[in-house]
Amino acid sequence: MINTIAYGLTIGAILYIISIGLSLTFGTMRIVNFAHGFVYTIGAYLLITSLPMVRDNFFLAAVIAVVAVIPIAYAIERFVIRKLYGVSIDYAIIATYAVVLIGVDSIKWIWGASPIPLSDPIGKYVNIFSVTLPMYRVLIIILALVIFGVLTVFFKKTIVGKIVTASLEDKDAVKSLGINVDKYFSIVFVIGSCLAALGGVLYAPITSVHPYMGMMVLLISFAVVLVGGLGNIKGTFVSAFVLGLIMAITGRYWGPAAETMVFVVMGIVLIFKPVEV
Amino acid sequence: MLSVKNIDVAYGHARVLHDISLELEAGSMVFMAGRNGAGKTTFLKSIAGFMKPIAGSISFLGRDISGMAPEKVALMGIRYVFQDKRVFSNLTVRENLELAAYPVKEKTSHAIEKVMSIYPKMDKFLNLRAGSLSGGQRQILLIGRALVGDPKLLLVDEPTEGLAAGTINDILNVLAVMKGKVSMIIVEQNLSVVGMLAEKVYIMREGKIVQTCTSKEEIADKERLEQYL
Repeated sequence: MINTIAYGLTIGAILYIISIGLSLTFGTMRIVNFAHGFVYTIGAYLLITSLPMVRDNFFLAAVIAVVAVIPIAYAIERFVIRKLYGVSIDYAIIATYAVVLIGVDSIKWIWGASPIPLSDPIGKYVNIFSVTLPMYRVLIIILALVIFGVLTVFFKKTIVGKIVTASLEDKDAVKSLGINVDKYFSIVFVIGSCLAALGGVLYAPITSVHPYMGMMVLLISFAVVLVGGLGNIKGTFVSAFVLGLIMAITGRYWGPAAETMVFVVMGIVLIFKPVEV
Repeated sequence: MLSVKNIDVAYGHARVLHDISLELEAGSMVFMAGRNGAGKTTFLKSIAGFMKPIAGSISFLGRDISGMAPEKVALMGIRYVFQDKRVFSNLTVRENLELAAYPVKEKTSHAIEKVMSIYPKMDKFLNLRAGSLSGGQRQILLIGRALVGDPKLLLVDEPTEGLAAGTINDILNVLAVMKGKVSMIIVEQNLSVVGMLAEKVYIMREGKIVQTCTSKEEIADKERLEQYL
């Protein structure tokens, strides 16, 4: 059982890293961004391309992959997302879904459609409470905690964080102070995309890398965001870990229902706490 | 200072402002009055850059600002104080002022001093979440926040709406302190407030300015003004 919980915490950690960007873009821009799933996938593929360039040093390749996502994320924000501010949410869904389709086909064209397996980059185990766990998974959980701490400080202490916090509440009021909100939305979007790519990079050795890997993760991430609250850093953190644990525990007893259970929980939460978009 | 010439403004196909013109001199305080839906807020939003006129022009200090982005209008020295007491409730009072000071490169301490000069009691609330303030305190914070960076024109939308009589006096005092120092266009339904502070009152009805009151007698004549509300 402890193994299952540890697995759930790993899934929760990755879900948090992916979902936080989605939560911020959803919360600030009110845009349902399906392209987030593509960024997650491209992160994993950029990792695969980078690995031979740095003699299979996983951590260096991971940094390269995340940094390489910045221009891609900026291009998506500049040429797609920015056109969608203030328009109907339907347009955002269609436009960002188009980005996913173009992206997936581009990935198939460049890297092929076959799944690419990756091995555990550390390959060592640690003993916690008499249970042997892969060190890589423990590191992912620690990394999620560090990201949560850094983001909390960023939003509470930096001026950019405060502008984004204020924009989540009242974008027009921020504009009326003379602040170009769109510029800060771009920053948030790129940070969120880098985190999504990091999620793809971290999850690649746990599963295999394939062009559609972002699709299901994206839907689960939306569930995390809706349960945790749009733009709510702490809520997303708690929601990701709770849903990660629910997936792992359900999967232990009834594998096919693991992902379904996430949406059941989301449905129950939405009944009692509807989301205003 | 501000020259609005024959502007028309529409929400989609619905035209809500028709051929509105207004001239504002530096340091003056004018009021806009009229029934709900008369177009007062839309008029302020058009000046502040939140609505783009489909006809006519708005110029400020000799520069055409029609359709300019709100953040650029704000940096030119026009600040819009929204109705509904829209403070950033998740930030502290100090952080609200810090945000106002940031784009105009003013120190937060100066911004705080500015608010204290119009409402010294704010000192006690600086580290509280703005969402925990009363309606009147929120309104004063909003006006104080808009004063950061020494704007030349304030557009204040319904500053006393929904406030108790005692609190309205606080707002009145704040507006009186600012009178003459910064130009103001204030949308207000409370005719007592209008009577005490206005130098000129524009009455709006169905998207048009139907009456302009300039003499003290006209402005103080509540019964006459009331027939337009």
